[in-house]
Amino acid sequence: MSQTTATDERTGRLRGTVAGLPRDLTGSQKLMVFVLSMALSGVANLVLEIIPDVTIGPVDVSVSYFVFVPLALVALLNPFWAALGAPIGEVIFVDLLMGDFSGLAEIEGIIQMFLALYIAGSLVRNPRNRLQIAIAAVTVVVIDKALSALVDLSKVWIGVEDAEFVEGLPESILLLEGIGYAVDILMSGVLFGVIPAIWLIPALHGRIEPLLGMRPRVPGEPIQGSAPRNAMFVAIAVALSVASFLFAFLEAWDIELGVFEPEWLDTYGPGFIWVGVGAAAIAFLVGVALARLARRNAGSEN
Amino acid sequence: MTAIIELDRLSFRYPGATRDSLRNVSLSIEEGDFVAVIGGNGSGKTTLCKTFNGLVPHYWVGEFAGEARVAGLDTYDSSVAELSATVGYVYQDFQNQLVRPRVRDEVEFGPMNFGMADFAARGAEAMAMLGIDHLADRFVWQLSGGQAHLTALASVLSMRPRIIVVDEPVAEVDPAGAHALYERLTQLNRDHGITVVVIEHHAEFISQYARSVILMDDGAPVWHLPVAEAAARADELAAHGIPAPQIVDACAAAEVPGAPRTVAEAATLLRDAGVSPSAASSLREDDAGERGIAAAPRPVVAASSLSHGYRTVGGDLMPVLHDVDLTIHAGDRVALVGGNGAGKSTLMRLLGGLQVPRGGTIVLDGVDTRSAPSARLADHAAYLFQRPEQMFLKDSVRADVLLHPAGRGRDDADALVDRVLDRVRLTEFADRDGRTLSGGQQRRATLAIGLAMSPALMLADEPTASLDVASRDSVIGMLDELSDTIAAAVVATHDMHLVAEWATRVVVLEHGRIVADLTPRALFADDALLAKARLVPPQIVALGRELGIDPLPLSVAQWREAVAPIRTEALA
Amino acid sequence: MSRKTRDVLSVEWVKLELIRTAYATRGGLFARMDPRMVIGWYLLLAVAPWLTHNFTTILALFVITAASAALARVGPLVLGLFLIGFFTDFLYAFLAAWLFGGDANTAIALIEINLKLATVSLASIAAFVSLDPEKLSTGLLALGAPELLAFGVSYGYRMMPILFEEFGIVFTGLRLRSAPGARGFLGLKALWRWGTYAVQAFYPIFLNTAKSVRTTVESLETRGFTANQGRELRIARLSIGGLDVAVVAVTVMAVMTAFGLGSRWPLG
Repeated sequence: MSQTTATDERTGRLRGTVAGLPRDLTGSQKLMVFVLSMALSGVANLVLEIIPDVTIGPVDVSVSYFVFVPLALVALLNPFWAALGAPIGEVIFVDLLMGDFSGLAEIEGIIQMFLALYIAGSLVRNPRNRLQIAIAAVTVVVIDKALSALVDLSKVWIGVEDAEFVEGLPESILLLEGIGYAVDILMSGVLFGVIPAIWLIPALHGRIEPLLGMRPRVPGEPIQGSAPRNAMFVAIAVALSVASFLFAFLEAWDIELGVFEPEWLDTYGPGFIWVGVGAAAIAFLVGVALARLARRNAGSEN
Repeated sequence: MTAIIELDRLSFRYPGATRDSLRNVSLSIEEGDFVAVIGGNGSGKTTLCKTFNGLVPHYWVGEFAGEARVAGLDTYDSSVAELSATVGYVYQDFQNQLVRPRVRDEVEFGPMNFGMADFAARGAEAMAMLGIDHLADRFVWQLSGGQAHLTALASVLSMRPRIIVVDEPVAEVDPAGAHALYERLTQLNRDHGITVVVIEHHAEFISQYARSVILMDDGAPVWHLPVAEAAARADELAAHGIPAPQIVDACAAAEVPGAPRTVAEAATLLRDAGVSPSAASSLREDDAGERGIAAAPRPVVAASSLSHGYRTVGGDLMPVLHDVDLTIHAGDRVALVGGNGAGKSTLMRLLGGLQVPRGGTIVLDGVDTRSAPSARLADHAAYLFQRPEQMFLKDSVRADVLLHPAGRGRDDADALVDRVLDRVRLTEFADRDGRTLSGGQQRRATLAIGLAMSPALMLADEPTASLDVASRDSVIGMLDELSDTIAAAVVATHDMHLVAEWATRVVVLEHGRIVADLTPRALFADDALLAKARLVPPQIVALGRELGIDPLPLSVAQWREAVAPIRTEALA
Repeated sequence: MSRKTRDVLSVEWVKLELIRTAYATRGGLFARMDPRMVIGWYLLLAVAPWLTHNFTTILALFVITAASAALARVGPLVLGLFLIGFFTDFLYAFLAAWLFGGDANTAIALIEINLKLATVSLASIAAFVSLDPEKLSTGLLALGAPELLAFGVSYGYRMMPILFEEFGIVFTGLRLRSAPGARGFLGLKALWRWGTYAVQAFYPIFLNTAKSVRTTVESLETRGFTANQGRELRIARLSIGGLDVAVVAVTVMAVMTAFGLGSRWPLG
């Protein structure tokens, strides 16, 4: 720009406040972040879907997701809406369209991924700091995979507790989960997480935000829509995780218990189905509460 | 008449910007007017139009001062939703405006969102007004560019707005489509009393269709005048990047006063003034010269009995090219023309080796395209995609230009890049991301990418699409200068100015067959062929024909030569 | 090696398949039904397999959904991906059983589980492949889903082929203009190169998509998407007809027959 310091005298009456201070996003800006995150994560997953998976024995060494794509969005834009858009985009773009839709169990994945991305995005205070980005990339995979590994392990735990079972099974499951976890962190977290992200995020910083009419994230300024650091958030996160476990079990109780102890259903009766319904209710209530909270925050800041 | 849009000392600054984008704008637009908003890049045209429907300041939240009243509503105190019932907005990249799968859903989307029970009737009415009822059940991705544009227009018309804003209507549709759209807008304006605001670069459309003109410069209007008065200020317009229409230039060159709005008017004016130019003296030699170059040609790419087709959504094979034979020689500047779906892009992709034909063979620079991978063919032919942003893969123009030569391990890569960037006059922008450049600069950057590949054949898909007149002329000039570094160039284009001023050979495709292969002058003299291929010659060519000049002038420069002798006679 | 135009397993083919799937252009039984009934039908077949451990019943249920998938005219890409997933799961199951020293019973139990999963998966393919985005999002609205999700479904379906094509173009550009190289051992070098292209392609894709999303959302704003008053109008368009009732009734009967078969001739 040739003239940068031109002070223009405004003769009209100034309406509202002077801009420049970071303020909360407008409803449509949130929609924009959400839609963008949905579209990009959808494409990333679609590309991944077409690459065939490689499985060595029982250990899956494929890339579970292109972490760097949603990570770039949560690190640069509003983490809440970007983190919400990414897993929903995956479900809509890939799972529904490709017939990979597993019904209510999808909600487990959405909650886990949302939590992982939301927390990771809030960790990146300076999008040009490669260390912060690397930590955030690994955090996504650690949180997401830890939650699902916990689900897997507890499935076995429940299955083993009252079944006459093969010696050493828990150990081997633990070993397999451990190897799977390590492979995931290496492949998804580092190879397709840290390495692309430390290049992509600084490259996009300051370039993508103006396209959306937003201010780039500046170190030192509070991040809009970042995860609150208080007990309330931790409580909600834990509640969400528990709800996601229950969703996982809705699918899993049959797999584990059904296989090894078919008379299980007779023992507990079909009433156990209500556990699933309860899980759905919890997740729904938490979702409503979150939406309320977000709306109230938006209302109070405007 | 009453004012429907009134702006009073309006200022606006985007968040994070260092300067106001609109500065103390005071303006009023009468109901029923047909207004063209003109001005250079960054003059605030689009921002101005976004204040009409409240996107500024409700969507783009920045500092907002002054008052804007639209149909009596203060935009600051009302919402985008309220204003949308009065103002409809059609975007330049209208394809992104279409969010629903079928045309009918798209058109009914607005009324339905606002909870209007008569949404179906409104949708049907809007489609009928634009004559696209027959498209109602089509999927939006099946539409041609022109049809998609009309759909976007219908989708705002269904709200029964009193004002319609159309951002650069000509940018992404072919000339015939652009005229059709303007005819529809004129009809809406005349028969339904809708106020139309267009952002437009092309003087010929402004003078033909608009009633008044607002010239924007640096965030404020310079003036708002009736179209005849505006057209008379040709010098001022030219200074703001809006060259006068060719026919106005033509009259000025012949020293005939007046600003004709159509070619017929111009011809009458000139005839009445007794101007009857004969052919420019240089033209015959020119023709001879062209033939001289073509005397001992080396074939750069040769296609023989080419046929190709695509699978459709229904699973059938849709033939696109039938039995095409085409040889392009060194020194050729070929323009591929023809309507949408004639097979231009397909032929270009095949020639460049991006795809291989289903039938027939292509020998590119001595290599059969079937025998080599496309990455190796990229050393022989550079293919420039239609949308420049698809070619900006790196974070700076320099990195993009460097990608190919550095990848091929050329030692002189850096020097080559410097030379190429200098050639397209982009050295000072070399470190910026290509997407942040203006339209004309983006095209020149893609040319630089192509040049740095040192190809024998350069293929460009619509290199002048969506450019304003000045940028278009600079791209044409650049293509002209570059002809010495590449053996041959082929462009697929709708732009008849490019055909007239740059090409030495025109290949007309229709339904996948070559129906003509001739010089531009021969093309513009053939009425039947023009009609068949849906082409509209540039104004200066049409004027030449109207006045019976032979050979036809293809540019204003040639016209000047043609009228120069008369002027000297008159003076003597 | 000579190049030729491929009709399958190319970028163009994937794009076409996406469009065909997304817009249910193959027709099929469920495409003509009310979306709420299709979702209901799906839930019926998604839940039924979990209520039994009778191998006969599970097999019968699998046959029902396989027939439904045939009636829904599921395309080759989706079916192919499903089959690949299905068979690798089977292999994995056998391998796991063998590793943990399981016997024939364990194997049968694992087959049973995989059949159940395949049944649910096929039902979801048959149902969701048949619903065009408009119908699906209206159906979701009618069932009380948030407006944002309903829009996301419809927008996602529309944009995906476009975005995928854009990705293809950018990827081609990178392939043509980047440094060529050897294939390497087992094509590993080529694989690595393609991996880096896939990652690099996201830089332009991010920026280009951001630009088009801006226009989309602005236009949504001006056309009242956020005004959010159209829910009832949209839902009012749905109607449950004879076909819907018939299909669901036939399915319910088929499922009951499956359970009946299971109790009379149990297999495991």
